[in-house]
Amino acid sequence: MPDSRPLPSVGELRRALDAGELSSVEITEASLERAESIDGSLRAFTGMRSEGARGDAAASDARRVEGKGLSSIDGIPVAIKDNMVMEGEPTTCASRILEGFVSPYTGTAVGKLRAAGAVIVGRTNLDEFAMGSSTEHSCFGATRNPWDLDRAPGGSSGGSAAAVAAGIVPAALGSDTGGSIRQPAAHCGVLGIKPTYGLVSRWGLVAFASSLDQIGVFARDASDAALLLGAIAGHDERDSTSIPEPVPDYRAAQTGDVSDLVIGLPREYFVSDGVDAGVLDAVRAAVAVLEAAGAKVREVSLPHTRYAVATYYLIATAEASSNLARYDGVRYGRRADDPSGLSDMYHRTRSEGFGDEVKRRIMLGTYVLSAGYYDAYYRKAQQVRGLLARDFQGAFRLCDVIATPTCPETAFRLGEKTGDPLAMYLGDIYTVSANLAGIPGVSIPCGQSSGLPVGLQLLGGTLAESTLLRVADAYQRLTDHHEARPTAV
Amino acid sequence: MAYEVVIGLEVHCQLRTDSKLFSPAPVSFGREPNHSVHPICLALPGVLPVLNRRAVELAVCAALATHCKVHTSSVFARKNYFYPDLPKGYQISQYEEPLATGGYIDIPAGGDADEGDGKATKRIGLTRIHMEEDAGKSIHDSEVTGRFATHVDLNRAGVPLLEIVSEPDLRSPAEAAVYLRTLRSILRYIDVSDADMEKGNFRCDANVSLREAGAREFGIRTELKNLNSFRNVELALGSEILRQAEILDDGGSVVQATMAFDPVSRRTRVLRLKENADDYRYFPDPDLIPLVISDADVDRIRDELPELAQARYQRFQDQYGLSEYDARQLTISRELAEFFETAVAAHGVAKTVANWVLRDLREALGERELEDAAVTPEQFAALLRLVDDGKLTPKSARGLVPELVESGGDPEAWMRERGLEALSDTGVIERAVDEVIAAHPDDVDRFRSGEQKVQNFLMGQVMKKTKGKADPAAVRELLTQKLGA
Repeated sequence: MPDSRPLPSVGELRRALDAGELSSVEITEASLERAESIDGSLRAFTGMRSEGARGDAAASDARRVEGKGLSSIDGIPVAIKDNMVMEGEPTTCASRILEGFVSPYTGTAVGKLRAAGAVIVGRTNLDEFAMGSSTEHSCFGATRNPWDLDRAPGGSSGGSAAAVAAGIVPAALGSDTGGSIRQPAAHCGVLGIKPTYGLVSRWGLVAFASSLDQIGVFARDASDAALLLGAIAGHDERDSTSIPEPVPDYRAAQTGDVSDLVIGLPREYFVSDGVDAGVLDAVRAAVAVLEAAGAKVREVSLPHTRYAVATYYLIATAEASSNLARYDGVRYGRRADDPSGLSDMYHRTRSEGFGDEVKRRIMLGTYVLSAGYYDAYYRKAQQVRGLLARDFQGAFRLCDVIATPTCPETAFRLGEKTGDPLAMYLGDIYTVSANLAGIPGVSIPCGQSSGLPVGLQLLGGTLAESTLLRVADAYQRLTDHHEARPTAV
Repeated sequence: MAYEVVIGLEVHCQLRTDSKLFSPAPVSFGREPNHSVHPICLALPGVLPVLNRRAVELAVCAALATHCKVHTSSVFARKNYFYPDLPKGYQISQYEEPLATGGYIDIPAGGDADEGDGKATKRIGLTRIHMEEDAGKSIHDSEVTGRFATHVDLNRAGVPLLEIVSEPDLRSPAEAAVYLRTLRSILRYIDVSDADMEKGNFRCDANVSLREAGAREFGIRTELKNLNSFRNVELALGSEILRQAEILDDGGSVVQATMAFDPVSRRTRVLRLKENADDYRYFPDPDLIPLVISDADVDRIRDELPELAQARYQRFQDQYGLSEYDARQLTISRELAEFFETAVAAHGVAKTVANWVLRDLREALGERELEDAAVTPEQFAALLRLVDDGKLTPKSARGLVPELVESGGDPEAWMRERGLEALSDTGVIERAVDEVIAAHPDDVDRFRSGEQKVQNFLMGQVMKKTKGKADPAAVRELLTQKLGA
C-alpha cells in the first residue's frame, strides 16, 4: 500500500487550520496526493481539479491570514459528484454522450460550497446519469469499495462515498434519487444524508428524475455533515421546487440529547425474509443504544411499503426518459460521425453515447408514458406515491424519527448483480420511499457484518434534518463505528 | 349533397414579454441567430425552467378578455418529441389542466368584420386557453447552410405563446377569417400580443369537417397546419372543404389526417395520417410546481383591463351619438378608437371627426397601420377646425391629409406653405363668378329655363378658377344672386 495517509474529518482540519498547524494548501496537497496514490485502484474520481484546487487553497490561506475566513469549511477540500456542473469544468455524468462537454455555468450547491471557501478537488464517479446502485455502470469503469476492492461501493454516488471512506476528501457532495447517497454511504461506512426534496437547489444538477433528485452530503460524522449541509441548503429562485424557508443551524441543534424523541420501527422493514441477519442485528443494536440514551422506541406501520420499488421505477424511468431526450447530438456532447440524416444522427448518437442501464431505463420510461399505458402505470404510480407519503405522515404522528436498515445487505461483489437488474433494483427497497415522499434520510455506520460496514437509516418528516443530524450525532458520541477505517486502501 | 361546414381554430399568439417563458433570455425579432439565448433555452445539462410572471399576467388578461374561467391552479406538462430546434426534446405546454377554459368571443355575423352592420353578432365558444413555449427555427435553405446541412436558430426557442382553441362553432371560411380578425383585435386591444401574422407571432391551425346539413354528429375532421395569413386561412379552408366534399360525394369517407396547405397550388396535401400521429407522452413537468393564481390576482388584472372593442362600440353610440356602422368601424382597432377620441376632445364635434377619420384618414393610411402615421389626433382636429372656420375649403383640407399622415406638423403652417388659404375676398370671388357667367352663356340660359343642376357645373367652374380656395357657400350665394337677377 502507498504511504499516503487518509485525511481526518472536517472538524479536525478546521481546528488545525485555525491553530495554524496546517494550511489549506497543505491539506489540499495531501488530498491530491492521497488521490494520486490510491485512486488508480479505487477509481473514485472521474477527474481531478488539481490546479484550480491549489489556487483556491492559496486564496483561502490568504483570507485566513487576514482574518477574513468565509465559513467553517473555508479551505477544506471537497469532492463533487460528476453530475453537478461547474463553470469551466467538464461534467460527464460518467457517460460517453457528454464527451467534450464543459459547463459555462456553476450550479447552486457547488457555487455555495465555493462561496463558503471550500476547495473543490475533483469530480467523483457514478453510475451513468446516476442510474444504478453500484457505480459499475460508468464509462470510466467501476469504482471499488475501499473495504474490499473486489466489491462495489454502492451507487450511484459510489465515487463520493469511496473518496470520503478512503480519506481522499473529508466530505463530498452526492445526489440521491432512490438511495444513491444513503446506500453507498452504508456500503462504504460513512455518513450520507439525503435532505428533504427542495432543501438544496437542483440548479446545476444534471437531472435523472426531477421529482426525486436531491443533492446531499457525504461526511465522516454528523457534525461535519451539519456544516456541509448548512452551506449548500437554502431557497433558490432558479429552482421552482426549492423550499422558501430559512436554513436552521444544524450544528447548533446537535445537543447530544435524544431523550425527547420517539423512534419508530416500521414493522414492514424488519422482516427476516431477504435481509442479511448481520445487518438486522447491527441495526437493532444501534436502536438499543439510542433507547439506552433516553429515546423511546415503538413500532409503526408503513403499509404501502411493498409497492415502493415498483412505484419508484415507474416514476423515475418516466421522468428520466424525458430528461435525457436533450442528449441528441445537436448542441453539445457527442455526435455520431457522418450521420446520413437526422434519424441516423439521433439513433447512432444515442446508441453509441448511452450505456445499457441508461437505455434500459429510457425504454421503460418511454413505455410507461405511452398512450394507452399512462393511466395504468404513470398515473397509478403517482397515486401510490401519494399513499406512501400518507403512510409517513401517519407514522410521524406517532414518532419523530424512523429507524431502518439502509440496505438489506452489505456491499456486494463487482459484477454480482449487473446481470440481474431486478435484483439490483430490489436492493433499493429501504431507500426509495423517502424520495417518493420527499422526506429526509440519513445513513450512518452502525457496525459490521462479516467485516463489511452496515448502515443505519434514520428517516424524518419534511425539513427534519436538524432532528436527524442530532440523533446521528448523539449516536456517534456514544459509539465509535464511524471511526472504523477501511483496510483495503 | 348539401353539407354543413364545421371549423374549429387553434391560434398560437406570441405574448408581448421582454424575456422568454422560462428563461431570462430576451425576446427579440431579427437578432443574429443564437444570440438571444441562455443556458435554459439551450437545454444545457442541469438547467431548470422558471416561469415568467409577466407572461402569466398577459395570459390571464387574454383569458378574461375572452370571458374564460381562469383556473386557480393549472399545470405545465411536457410534450415529448425529438426535433433539432426543440432543445430539451420536449416542449413545456399545458395539457390536462390548462390556465383557462370555457370562454367566448362575439364576432360580427355575416362573415365580414369590416362590412357587418355592427348589430348582428355570433358567439364563438372558446374551449381553452393555455400557455406554452415556442420552438426554435430550423433553417433548411441550402443557400444559407450549404448542401447537406440544416442550421438551427434558438432565438425563438422558449418564447411565450398563448394557445387559444375555439369550439367547432365556425361554419364557413369567411366566418373563420372574421373570428381570427376579431380575436386579433381583442389581443391587440388589451396589448398582450402584437398578433402580427407576417412576423409569425399570430399563427393558426384549423380543424375542419363536413356533415350533412342538419346532422348532429360531426364528420371526420382534418387538421390544417400553419396557416400564416388571413387569406391563406380562407383559401386553405375553401380548398379542403372542396376536397372533403368531393370525397363524400363519391361515397368515400374522409381520413383523419394532418394537412399542409400550399399557397401556390392552392391545394391541401396530407402531412401525416392519424395512425402515424406522434405519441407525445405528455406528463406534468416535475421541474415546475402548479401555477396558482388567486382570485385576488384575477380581480386585479380584471380591473386593469382596458375597455374592449365591444364595450367601446356601445359607448361610442351612446356618448357620441354615432351610427352603429361608424361606431363599429372606429372600434376595429384600439389605436383608431383612441385617435378618434383624442381628436374629438380637441375638436368638439364627434360626427365631423368620425366622417373625416373614417373617410379621409383611413384612405390616406391605405395599408399602413395608424401607429406608423406621423399625424397626431390634435393635428388632425386642428385641420378640421381650419375647415370649420372657413380658412380652408374641405377640398383643400382633404388634399392635405396624406401629407399630414406622412409627416405630421401644424396644418395651418402646411396651409400657408401651400397657399391654400380659402378666398374670403368677395371681390375676387365675384370677379370669377362674373367671368364664368360671361364664358358660358348657353349654360346660363339653360339654368334660367329651369335646369337646376347646371348650377353645379357653373359652381365647379368658379371653384376651378379659384383653384378650389373659394368658400363654396360664398360662391353658391353669389351665383344664385347673379343668375336670379
